[in-house]
Amino acid sequence: MLLLDILISGLVLGGMYALISMGLTLQYGVARIMNLAYGEFLVGAAFLAFWLYSTIGISPLAGLILAVPLAFLANWAIYRWLLTPLVRRAKSRGQLEVDSILATFGLLFIVQGIALVLFGGQYYSYGYLSVPVSILGTTLALNRVIAFIFAGLIGVGLYLALTRTRTGTAIRAIAVNPTAASLVAIDVRTASAFAFALGGAMVAAGGVLVSMFLTFNASMGVVFTMKALIVVIVGGVGNVLGALVVGLALGVIETGVTRLVDPGLTLAVTYALFMIVLLVRPQGLFGSAVR
Amino acid sequence: MSLARAPLIALAVLAALLLAGLPLVASGYVLALAIGMLNFTILATAWALFSGPTHYISLASAAFFGIGAYTAAMMAETVPWPLVLVAATLAGFAVALVVGLSTLRLSGVYFVIFTFGLTELIRQLVTWYEVIVAGTVGRYLFLGMPQSTIYWQLLALAVAVLVIGWLIGRSRLGLAARVIGADEVVARHSGIDTTRTKIVLFAISSAIMALAGAIMAPRWTYIDPAIAFNPMISFQVVIMALLGGAGALFGPLLGAVPLVLLFEVLQANFPNAYSILLGAVFILIVYGLPRGVIGLIEDWRPAASRSVATLPSRAPRDPNVLTISDLKKSFGGLSAVDSVSFDVRPGEIIGLVGPNGSGKTSVLNLISGALKPDAGQIFYLGRPINGANPETIARLGVARTFQLVRVLPSMSVVENVIPGFAFRARHVTGAAAHEEALALLARVGLEHRAATPASELTYIDQKRLELARALALEPKLLLLDEWLAGLNPTELEEGIALIQSLRFDGLSIIMVEHVMDAIHALCDRCVVMNAGRVIAHGTPRLALAEPEVVRAYLGEDDA
Amino acid sequence: MLRKSLSRLALAAAVSALAGPAARVTTLPNYQLWVKDVNAAGGITVGGKKLQIEVVEYDDRSNSEEAVKAIERLGTQDKVDIILPPWGTGLNLAVGPTFNRLGYPHLAVTAATDRAPEMAKRWPNSFWFLGPSKAGAVALSEVLGKLKSENKIGAKVAMISVADAFGIELATAARAAFKSAGLEIALDKTYPIGTQDMQALLKDAMASGADAVVAFSYPPDTIAITDAARVLSYNPKVYYTAVGTAFPVFKGKFGAAAEGVMGVGGWNVDSPALQAYFKRHTEVIGREPDRWASPVTYVSLQMLQQAIERVGKIDNAAIIKELQTGTFDTIMGKIKLADNIMPIVWWVGQWQNGEFVGLAPTSYEGAKAPLFPKPAWKQ
Repeated sequence: MLLLDILISGLVLGGMYALISMGLTLQYGVARIMNLAYGEFLVGAAFLAFWLYSTIGISPLAGLILAVPLAFLANWAIYRWLLTPLVRRAKSRGQLEVDSILATFGLLFIVQGIALVLFGGQYYSYGYLSVPVSILGTTLALNRVIAFIFAGLIGVGLYLALTRTRTGTAIRAIAVNPTAASLVAIDVRTASAFAFALGGAMVAAGGVLVSMFLTFNASMGVVFTMKALIVVIVGGVGNVLGALVVGLALGVIETGVTRLVDPGLTLAVTYALFMIVLLVRPQGLFGSAVR
Repeated sequence: MSLARAPLIALAVLAALLLAGLPLVASGYVLALAIGMLNFTILATAWALFSGPTHYISLASAAFFGIGAYTAAMMAETVPWPLVLVAATLAGFAVALVVGLSTLRLSGVYFVIFTFGLTELIRQLVTWYEVIVAGTVGRYLFLGMPQSTIYWQLLALAVAVLVIGWLIGRSRLGLAARVIGADEVVARHSGIDTTRTKIVLFAISSAIMALAGAIMAPRWTYIDPAIAFNPMISFQVVIMALLGGAGALFGPLLGAVPLVLLFEVLQANFPNAYSILLGAVFILIVYGLPRGVIGLIEDWRPAASRSVATLPSRAPRDPNVLTISDLKKSFGGLSAVDSVSFDVRPGEIIGLVGPNGSGKTSVLNLISGALKPDAGQIFYLGRPINGANPETIARLGVARTFQLVRVLPSMSVVENVIPGFAFRARHVTGAAAHEEALALLARVGLEHRAATPASELTYIDQKRLELARALALEPKLLLLDEWLAGLNPTELEEGIALIQSLRFDGLSIIMVEHVMDAIHALCDRCVVMNAGRVIAHGTPRLALAEPEVVRAYLGEDDA
Repeated sequence: MLRKSLSRLALAAAVSALAGPAARVTTLPNYQLWVKDVNAAGGITVGGKKLQIEVVEYDDRSNSEEAVKAIERLGTQDKVDIILPPWGTGLNLAVGPTFNRLGYPHLAVTAATDRAPEMAKRWPNSFWFLGPSKAGAVALSEVLGKLKSENKIGAKVAMISVADAFGIELATAARAAFKSAGLEIALDKTYPIGTQDMQALLKDAMASGADAVVAFSYPPDTIAITDAARVLSYNPKVYYTAVGTAFPVFKGKFGAAAEGVMGVGGWNVDSPALQAYFKRHTEVIGREPDRWASPVTYVSLQMLQQAIERVGKIDNAAIIKELQTGTFDTIMGKIKLADNIMPIVWWVGQWQNGEFVGLAPTSYEGAKAPLFPKPAWKQ
């Protein structure tokens, strides 16, 4: 019974991680941008949902309709104005990585700073749909279950889009080999911008969903970025299915460690997993390219 | 060490003495500011020791600083202070070794990701330990250490770090780091043990940061994990090193001092917008001053080259220079190299030819160590080298050039050649290396371009440079991967003549080529491959006339 | 994340602002309120003249190093007359040596540490207004012990604590105190700061069979735990979350559901002086004070003012002596410090009818009986 409880709670938590990581794997795997400011957009979206709910009374689920396109546009703009000069300047993929790490590191502080100015350092929470619901004998909060369902829908939707549409296939081609992709008339620049923006839209969706049940503050983004990065690497960079599976797995493992071992060791376990993968299969569990 | 340096050294000593006198005249606040500047100078310089040359960005400075601070907090009440400092340094060193061994074998991005979360991870681990094992969170440090004592310790450490940085810069370790930062593949093929170099440098850098943390700890009286591990520090250190310029020894200092003052001003006047302004300054630096202030200065002054120490070694005798037997390598389902066998005798030039995709470059990669064979043996001078590291093989005397030319663009022509001298088995460094490098450049016809940055060379000259770098390894076996590709007729003639001259130095050569004239002109024997297998073997005239070879190149109908 | 507030006053004064969550609730508003009250009354009387308070503030950004630097600056650069310290135990300890060296009186209010008496001896210029934190566990064990002796609750207590100094100190003290009160700790778990999912811990508490749930928590966890308990419909007879329960935001978030929740803090709701203070704070600052350290902060400042006025000039040594030995008229009554430590610290309070009344130490004037059992959560 305890194990079932852990599994279900863990999957629900994992759904959150999966959603967030899928966006990052698009940004890093396709656009080749290591976006350290990633988690800040999650927090930003959470604040937006909070503001919409507490001042105007729009439910977060409806708020998704506003937040997601907004995030898409914002990230497109960031790629276009902030990151394209770096892409042009970079003489190699390695250099682009370094430059994008540094630039997004700076961006992290700017976005966090704006959130601090607007909302201060304190914690916010606005429990929405914080009602208990029982699944297979496990009591869960309804909002978490909804977040999980949405994460699943978005994830599956993304997966289908990437595998069944032309644009999706183009994006996957770039993730494997941008030079070859451009040789078959794929506009790598635009597709990269699109992938980056799409990744940003996904993390914003994640932010709106988790704001329903998390207590968040302006400084929380970093932990999410950290975990997303690890999930992306362990899953295989650019591999959406990998991010999904590993994200879910991470949720279950973390919940298991919290209940069975010690809540203080969750990040340590995440890192241990990371280290094992680095030692045994650095391209990731589902990755194929040997870098 | 030249006479011109003497006044600079005297100036530096004078500055150090003056700085040492500061606590006697300055107010508490000025001293506090000075402590901040020294602390960040130390951290930023230590950061740049590793991340500067190698371009592996560490975002974990706060983790090591915190380790030092917390170690001091745990031990200071019971252990004499000098021992506390030693313990803190060792703790930083040890953790860095663990991190390095896990991540530095792989490309830079894994390292960055790992360090991004490292501060948080260590904070959680320390907290867990304190709660579960020690039963207390937060340590009290009542050493009553006045600011001046802390200041003097930091001053001493700052001087030490600058000296260490200077020594490393002049050493083989520093050269290895710079080459790794320029092109890691070239580094490995020049005999550099890249993993070990990175780990050692990272450990030294982190140990220094830990020591700084330990020295600073008594200032805060009460240290708990949240206080010791402050992620903002990682950010501030990077921004300072980048502003001043991570590529030069005094760069971080130039960045640290003004930024500490700027932060103080921002703190006092715009505390609300502090984070935003920091981020904006950082981005400005990344975009506007990618090489920092030092980069601006360096644009007016060319850099000098440097090198270091030496030691001899031997190699055994064997009739063949190279013997390959039954070599196999597959990628997924594709068999790139399928039971390839041939040998190379001393002084021979072997041509390795075949249509595109026949596995020629893979064979070279297997010999040079860039790939590990799935099966088969490679004997070089009687020694098995299959599965060995590229750097080991390079040091044994196997040198190569690359299909897509790899020179180190930011370094000058002569600097590009030095690594071959510095890291081969019988290494030579310093002025001797410089001399020999110039001689080698003359050999390939580049002596007049010795000081030119490699990025400015023409295509053929870049190829000559690569050849010179390969020759610097004093190889017995030279692997040329389509070295003559893309040359116009005149250049081709010169190239062929150059290779011809090499054989008279006792070198054996395997050349992968498509230029049939060159094959006929140079090669004693020819190995023809198709779809991973050897289909013909013999003198160029005979081998290339074989029906199967013609079929392979031209297709069935034209056979 | 958490910011401190730091102040220096009089003739030229400084307060650090832009606090993080807790400083904004407790320290900063009360510093501001006091300055307003004093200046509105004409100022502090120093040697016959009334002097207005001028404020200079620095933000320490919750950073020990910044706090130390700021105090140095205030003392040696800006050379102010009064320095008011930052928020938080860690920061007050960090600036302790500097205050001591510079000779200013150090009114450490928002600092709860078991080593307070030791600090007071080491730095005779320092005054500790929340005293040792183990008193918190003792007071709670008083309340629980009484309920047990009345056979209202069983002997089992489920205890969870945040893995930080305050949480650990309280938990350590509670183990001993509960045992003396005849209580058995059926669940004893710690969780790291920032834990979001409290359901797991609460499920363990439910399974332990305890009538009383005690969480030595910080404001964000206090809210998260309470939220989770509500979702799980977990209604123990006694429910206690430590820090943050007494904050206005707790009542704001949970409304009627806060009824019966116990926490750290409390006050004598019958006292007219405190009622007046409450009203003034709400009017001037725009929100209610917290029911724990807010009034205490105000008290410390009242004491300082009276000490200065009695001495007649800004002579720190004399002011410190007066604070050590004198008796002062404050909103919490007549206060005389015992070895530099505040004698009245409310450690257990409870929301009853929309107000957070003080329960323990039960010997204090105004201590009420607990509302028992805690009513079921209103959704």
